[in-house]
Amino acid sequence: MTASSERRLFTILLVLSAITLISWWIGSTHGQVDFRLNGPVTCGVILIATVKVRLIIREFMEARHAPSWLRRIADAWLVLLVGSLLAIYFIGVGFHA
Amino acid sequence: MTEAVATAAGARFVEPDERIGRSNAVDYVPGQTDMWVFVLVEALIFAAYFITYMICRVQDPELYLRSQQRLNVGVGVANTLILLVSSWFMARCVQSAREKRYDVALRQVLSALMLGFLFIGLKLVDWSRMVGEGLELSTNEFFSFYYFLTAIHVLHVLFGMVFLGVAVYQLRSPLRRSQEIVETSATYWHMVDFLWVMIFALLYVIR
Amino acid sequence: MRAVAVQAAPALPSGLFDRLVWHWRYNPKLELWIAWYAMVFFYNLFGVVFVGMTRVMPPPKPWWDMPRVVQWFNDNHSGLLVGFGIIFLVSGLTAACNALIGYSMRRMSISRAFAYSYIAIYSVSALPGMLLTAIALTVGAMRPDRDPELIYWLYDMGFMCFIGTMGIFLIGTFVWMIAVLIDKNRVLPKWFGYLNICNLITEFVVATSWVFKQGVFAWNGAIAFWIDTAVFAVYTVAFIVLLMKMIKREDFGDGPLAA
Repeated sequence: MTASSERRLFTILLVLSAITLISWWIGSTHGQVDFRLNGPVTCGVILIATVKVRLIIREFMEARHAPSWLRRIADAWLVLLVGSLLAIYFIGVGFHA
Repeated sequence: MTEAVATAAGARFVEPDERIGRSNAVDYVPGQTDMWVFVLVEALIFAAYFITYMICRVQDPELYLRSQQRLNVGVGVANTLILLVSSWFMARCVQSAREKRYDVALRQVLSALMLGFLFIGLKLVDWSRMVGEGLELSTNEFFSFYYFLTAIHVLHVLFGMVFLGVAVYQLRSPLRRSQEIVETSATYWHMVDFLWVMIFALLYVIR
Repeated sequence: MRAVAVQAAPALPSGLFDRLVWHWRYNPKLELWIAWYAMVFFYNLFGVVFVGMTRVMPPPKPWWDMPRVVQWFNDNHSGLLVGFGIIFLVSGLTAACNALIGYSMRRMSISRAFAYSYIAIYSVSALPGMLLTAIALTVGAMRPDRDPELIYWLYDMGFMCFIGTMGIFLIGTFVWMIAVLIDKNRVLPKWFGYLNICNLITEFVVATSWVFKQGVFAWNGAIAFWIDTAVFAVYTVAFIVLLMKMIKREDFGDGPLAA
């Protein structure tokens, strides 16, 4: 394997692992006893997950080199899913606030 | 010496020594396109599950938040990292096979497979701990979703491991070694990985 | 294969009736098309009966109490009896579906055992798939003045048979999936083999309906019924279309099937 592609894949792995740990830290209780509703945390966590999924699809699944229709379908799925999740969360939680 | 391999999409795949510093190929669909179609269908089904989960969650946030606290997030993180590393091995395996370094590729797919076993083992341990604490499928709505989503995902991991097994079988003998089949198995395995990324975020970490 | 292949058939006439007669006499794929049209007719009839007449799809609620359930039987009295009466009459048509699918496996470059085991497994599939439900619910509807306890019992049995029983479909789908994926004759596309995995998973998902009487995992829930049925509908449409294409491509030979 050429050095550059090996390096690239390893870098992607490090980035994915790092933002996993960041996501964990964001969601942790920071000293509070109970979990509470937290819009910014939820938003941040979901967006981090989105970035991770996109990286896996683009880099590990090699969508980067794929025809544009494949990339567009993948991105469309991700946007629709995450958009719906965030919309449901913020609208739904708005009724409880 | 370079080889131009015509793929189903008519794209030209460029051998490694030709592309130092550049990307492998353009317009190349890794593995069978059929597998990508299937990945899309699975992604849509899981999206429906995730959206259903979120709709239920916002109707009783206190219940979900209380129940979430009983989860072991550390195990969730460990499982996420296990699958990420496993995907990394599989991505490298595809590259190694492309460069015809089949002994290396075989080691990498076996590593991915071992990590798959580790993922399932850890999940079983986590489930048994929770059941021991009296938290099971019908305890409340959150735990129904928790067990359902993680169990259906484990089913997919098992299928994924069968596909990895097919890749192992292909790589072992010089009579086989179909690049297409190895890439197809890898595509499915990466899907298993990114689905877990979403499940981890939605079950363990969102508030 | 029909012996008339030896002589060339006359040209296809115009006019619908004449063309049908021509197909009856000269088309070597006649039996395949009869089976396919029988399958399409059956699934359409199934939809009309189960959705429109008997109101079994989408299913009523599992958490209803006894009086409400008795009322459901009364409201749907004639729909249940007439609708399922039709099902009892035509249930033999499922044999056409199973035969066509078994036939698809005969052309594949795999052991004949796949086709035979699929047909054997699926020949009993009509029982949990619709007949047990039909029997339970028609018995319930037959005497409106029956003991409500019994009617309640028949209600549970009918719907659990319909939504919750999936073992037969699980194994059968698995057999067809393996057949399609290892086939080298390209009889059916590989994406359909993978799609069988989706159908397989749905069989596991419905198992939750045994545990829950309300919510998304109940027999009428978003996950155990709606999403599951959507996946099954996509899968069914896919194989109906693919079998049609297979019949068109059929050349009664051996080896790979032309695209």
